[in-house]
Amino acid sequence: MALLELNNVNKGYGTPGDRTEVLRDINLKVNEGEFVAIIGYSGTGKTTLVNMLAGLLKPDSGEVLLEGKPITGPGPDRSLVFQNYSLLPWLTVTENIALAVDSVFPDWSKEQRMEHIQKYIAMVKLSHAATKLPKELSGGMRQRVSVARALSMDSRVLLLDEPLSALDALTRATLQDDISDIWLRQRKTVLWVTNDPDEAILLADKVIPLLPTVPATLGETMLVPLDRPRDRKAMNHNPEFKALRNHLINLLLDAKGKNRAVVSKKLILPDILPEDISNMTSLQMMNRRGPRRRSEEKREEVEVAS
Amino acid sequence: MNWLTRNKLDDWILPLIGVVAVLVFWQIISGHTETKKVPDEFGDIVTKTVKTGISKDLPTPVETWKASKPYLVEPFAKRGELDQGILSFTKLSLILVTQGYLIALILGTPLGFFLGLSKKFTKAADPIIQVLRPVSPLAWFPLGLILFSSVKLVDGSGKTFFGTSDAAALFTIAICAMWPTVMNTAVGVRAVPQDYLNVAKVLKLSRSKTLWKVLVPATLPYMFTGFRLSLGIAWLVIVAVEMLTGRPGVGGFLWQEYNAGSYARIILCILTIGIIGLVLDRLMSMVERRFKTA
Repeated sequence: MALLELNNVNKGYGTPGDRTEVLRDINLKVNEGEFVAIIGYSGTGKTTLVNMLAGLLKPDSGEVLLEGKPITGPGPDRSLVFQNYSLLPWLTVTENIALAVDSVFPDWSKEQRMEHIQKYIAMVKLSHAATKLPKELSGGMRQRVSVARALSMDSRVLLLDEPLSALDALTRATLQDDISDIWLRQRKTVLWVTNDPDEAILLADKVIPLLPTVPATLGETMLVPLDRPRDRKAMNHNPEFKALRNHLINLLLDAKGKNRAVVSKKLILPDILPEDISNMTSLQMMNRRGPRRRSEEKREEVEVAS
Repeated sequence: MNWLTRNKLDDWILPLIGVVAVLVFWQIISGHTETKKVPDEFGDIVTKTVKTGISKDLPTPVETWKASKPYLVEPFAKRGELDQGILSFTKLSLILVTQGYLIALILGTPLGFFLGLSKKFTKAADPIIQVLRPVSPLAWFPLGLILFSSVKLVDGSGKTFFGTSDAAALFTIAICAMWPTVMNTAVGVRAVPQDYLNVAKVLKLSRSKTLWKVLVPATLPYMFTGFRLSLGIAWLVIVAVEMLTGRPGVGGFLWQEYNAGSYARIILCILTIGIIGLVLDRLMSMVERRFKTA
C-alpha cells in the first residue's frame, strides 16, 4: 500500500458563480522511502496540492489518504517546509525549532528535547547561528532553519513546497546538495514541489509534471534511474540526465503550448499613401482634401528598380 | 539661514521663535491694568484701576508667572486639599489615570482579541461598539454614578476611601480609553499573516501555545499603538472627570481656580496637562518602538 495517496482529487476556490477550478482528477501514489518531485509552472496549483497533503486544505471531491486513512487535518506524521520559510520572527533559530519539537515530543525530558534540537541545527550546519533571530540570517540560512524544523518533527513524510524558489542559484545548488545528503542518510519519504526541472531530476526518484491545463492535472510519471549520489558537475555532461531534462522540458512546454487560447481579432492596416509635401504652401496645405488612401486609388504607379 | 542649519541651532532657535511669537500674541490680547486719576461726580479726583484689552480678564504672561510661582517652586507642597504644589496635583491625577488606564487595558485587550478572532462576535458587537465609542466622558460620568451608587469602601477610622464618585471616575476613564486598544488589537489579530497561522497548524500547536507564541507576538506592535492612543485619551478624560467631581488633581485644581477667579493658574494647569500628556505619549512611543517585531 502506498504511504500517501490521492484519488480523483478535485479542488477549486471561490463561491458558486465566481469559481476557479484549480486541480482536476489528481491521482498520485507515493511509496514509503520514495523521493517524489512534482514540477509545474507557477500558479498551476502546486501549493494547493501540497496544502491538501499537509491537511491545511480539504479536497472538494476525491480522497487524500495516508496509509489508507483519510487526512482530516495537519498532523505530526507530515511535516511541511514552506516556500517563504515561515519562521516566527520573534523567536531565535533554536526557539523556532523548539516550538515544533516541544509540540511533537511533549513526553521527552527537557535535555532530551534540547539535544534533539541541537542535532538538527547541526545537520543543517547552523550551530554557529543557533541563538540568532531570523532577521539576522540570510535567505538560505532561513530556509535551512525551516528544513531543520520540519526534519526535527521526525515525521514519516516530508512535504516541501518550492523550498528553494526564493533563493539565488548558487545558494540553491548548495542547499540542494545538502538536502540530498541528508535524504541519503535518512531515506525519508519526500514530496518535493518545484518549478526547476534540473532540481527535480537531480534530487528525485520520480518526477511528476503538473500540467498547466485549466484546471491542472498530473501528467505521466517519469522515473529517474540515475545512480546516487548524483554529482552536480558530472550531471551536466551525463547524456541520460540531459535526455531526461529535455524530455521533461518538452513535456511541460508542449502542455503549455496546447493550452494556448486562440483569440481572433480583426486587424485594420493603416491606409495612407505617402505624398510629397515639401513644395506645398501653407494655403495649399489647408485646402488639401486629406491624405491619399490606397483604398481610394484607382491606379497606382510603382517604381521598380531595374 | 545657512549658518543656522550648519550649527544645528535651528533645532532650538526655531521652536524658540514659535514660543516667543505665542507669548507676544498672548501679551497683546491679554488685559492691561491702567490706573487713572479721574474726577468723580462730586468733583474730587480719585484713582481708578481699570482693565482694558481684547480679552480683558486674561492675565498677561508676567501675571501668570507671578501667580503660578508658588505652585512651581514648591511643587510638592500641601497647604490644603485643593491647594497643593502642581506636581503634587499631577501625582494625584496620574494615580487615578493609571488605575483607570489599567482597567481599560485589562478589559480592552481580550475584547480586541475576541473581535479579531471571531467574525460572528464582531458582527454581534460591532454596532454596540460603534455607538459607544464616540460618547464623551461627560456623558459617561453620571451613568457611572448611577451604576456604582452603592459602592462604599470604608477604612478603619470610618472614613470612606473609595466611594461612588471614585468608582464612577475609574469607570469613565476606562470606558473612554478602552476603544483604541480594542480596535487596534482586533485589527492586529486580523492582520496576523496566514503563514504564521499555517505554521501553528502544521506544528500542531496547542491553543494556548498558538495564542502566546504566535498571535500575541504578531499582534504586539498593533496592541502597543492602541495602548499609546488609549493613554492619551485617559489623560484627556481625567481632567473632565476631576472637574466634575472636584476631587484634588490637576483638573480639579483648574476648575476650583476658575471658580475662585484666579485665571492665571488656569493657564498653569493647561500647560501642565499639555506637558504631562506629551511626556506620557513620548514614553509610550519609546515602549512601542521596542516591541516592533519583524
